[in-house]
Amino acid sequence: MAHIRLSEELPGIRGLFDFRPETAKPLCELADVLLHAPGTLSPGERELIATYVSSRNDCFYCQTSHGAIAAHHLGGDEELVQQVKRDFEQAAVSDKLKALLAIAGKVQRGGKNVQPEDVERARRQGATDREIHDTVLIAAAFCMYNRYVDGLATWAPSDPAAYRGRAAIVAESGYLGIPRDIAAAQAGR
Amino acid sequence: MFLPEVEANPQPSPTTDLIRVAQSAGAEYPQIWHMFAYRAQASAHLGACTQEVMRGEGPLSAGIRELIAAFTSFYNDCLF
Repeated sequence: MAHIRLSEELPGIRGLFDFRPETAKPLCELADVLLHAPGTLSPGERELIATYVSSRNDCFYCQTSHGAIAAHHLGGDEELVQQVKRDFEQAAVSDKLKALLAIAGKVQRGGKNVQPEDVERARRQGATDREIHDTVLIAAAFCMYNRYVDGLATWAPSDPAAYRGRAAIVAESGYLGIPRDIAAAQAGR
Repeated sequence: MFLPEVEANPQPSPTTDLIRVAQSAGAEYPQIWHMFAYRAQASAHLGACTQEVMRGEGPLSAGIRELIAAFTSFYNDCLF
């Protein structure tokens, strides 16, 4: 049960978006810029970074929902998502993404853990400053989203299969529709 | 700062104007301004969220909210 009274049918961060639409809008817009808008890292790679950080923060809702979105982008490869969470250095992802995941993991433990050699490794694997910048911002933003979701003890479906339907919608159309859908549902109540 | 490209590529934004003012006055300014200016769109969304939680309508005074932010930043060892 959540620490505050939230809509009972909306899990995870969606219950919080419904509770506070004013903050939902910029939070969804930020997620869209970071994860969905055009960029040199694919949406699948960016969702993997978000999923990895969420799993390190032990946030079940975020790692499962973004893991499902990542898998959708990656042709339904849920095993790859699990490998990245377990040990990304051994996963079938590019060396550049491994270097970026290493930076994301350092940010998750605390921003000051990122060392010049971590940035150097990413550059050696071809990462641009923009990609390194966005990796740090995705990791930092997901520490915020994860703490927001768990700090208020939101509920989450326990079966990963329950996340696939919405994951497909978000993977295809992005995050900007979420606050619009919540506003429409509230108007209908 | 680890990423020189971030500092070298400010996008048109209010923060970019602030950086110019500070630089021409020879004043010190926080480096996070370069990050805000580099990804102006992301910063605008972050700013909108910050504005709402820090200054939006609510029972907690702006001073109490800033105290919560300062307290959290202190325990995160973030001087700025």
